[in-house]
Amino acid sequence: RQPLSLCVAGERLCSTEEATAGSGTYTRHGFIFSSLAGCLKRRNEDSELPVVSVVRDSESQLLPNVGAVVTCKVCSINSRFAKVHILYVGSTPLKSTFRGTIRREDIRATEKDKVEVYKSFRPSDIILAKVISLGDAQSNYLLSTAENELGVVVARSEAGVQMVPISWCEMQCPRTHTKEFRKVARVQPQFLQT
Amino acid sequence: GLLVTKCGLLRHRPAGGGAFWVDSQQKRYVPVKGDHVIGIVTAKAGDVFRLDVGGSEPASLSYLAFEGATKRNRPNVQVGDLIYGQFLVANKDMEPEMVCIDGSGRSNGMGIIGQDGFLFKVSLGLIRKLLAPKCEIIQELSQLYPFELVLGMNGRIWVKAKTVQQTLIIVNILEACEYMTAEQRKQALAKLSGT
Repeated sequence: RQPLSLCVAGERLCSTEEATAGSGTYTRHGFIFSSLAGCLKRRNEDSELPVVSVVRDSESQLLPNVGAVVTCKVCSINSRFAKVHILYVGSTPLKSTFRGTIRREDIRATEKDKVEVYKSFRPSDIILAKVISLGDAQSNYLLSTAENELGVVVARSEAGVQMVPISWCEMQCPRTHTKEFRKVARVQPQFLQT
Repeated sequence: GLLVTKCGLLRHRPAGGGAFWVDSQQKRYVPVKGDHVIGIVTAKAGDVFRLDVGGSEPASLSYLAFEGATKRNRPNVQVGDLIYGQFLVANKDMEPEMVCIDGSGRSNGMGIIGQDGFLFKVSLGLIRKLLAPKCEIIQELSQLYPFELVLGMNGRIWVKAKTVQQTLIIVNILEACEYMTAEQRKQALAKLSGT
């Protein structure tokens, strides 16, 4: 049984001749350094060098990669973009939410100039989006809904009731029968629960 | 069914399918798309001016939203200027946006309000009364002295007459019109034009 060894970010673990870098580490000047504060794990491979990795919690944090479909909640809108909180990556919930941005030109695939953010999303909508970039220095993931399967899944009307989608651009409130504009996602039937 | 959310006088218009609305008294303005308002320029941020319109958020006004404005030909707007414009975007989720041109690109009376004059605030109900067609108050005042008047739906009125004294008299009458009856107003104006 290996003793529990902890390390901090920036600690030099070993040289690249003794082991290979795993997750939570990086190599510099021929040495392996830790990039997280956590437990040091050494896994012995049969033929190659052992793999050294640093793990923060028992479950590793799932980070959204480029091309992953994420579930987000819209927190604020602007005439140029919408800011969202990323809640789920695929089907696994995140322990802490990440922030994302959807630019106006990334909302739809066609007729990008005529898009109005107010007619596509509203604050507190739940949307499916795809990650197109890991983002800038403000750690905002850049997301896109420019596909038929992406867009608004759950939305509340001005009366506070959950709306029913009636087309790719409209949803209707079942109580007041007023229609509101949203960019609606065409969710595949196997994911719908009735 | 229809539910009333504010207290006031219930009005009904049977024409065109029928419409119900409530005439209520209020001093706090909430931006509505299409309303013409008077805004005060508080800041210039890049290509956009920030205007105080009396709502919960400052409105934005692009420098290209004036008649005949291009990237080379910028309008001469300074901090503290008064602008008469209308709302292009106004809802509870986004910051309001104003423009000084209408749909066809003409200014239609909107734009920067000139120098001098006096800006003051009244309740929204009085503004709607003054904006009604054939408003008696304005007709009677115009027989007193000639003056320029701009009414903003956000409760702001700008007045300019020939002298400062005449301007202030008109301001006082307009502010008092809130609570005066028609009789009292006619008496006050008769006294002023007599002296």
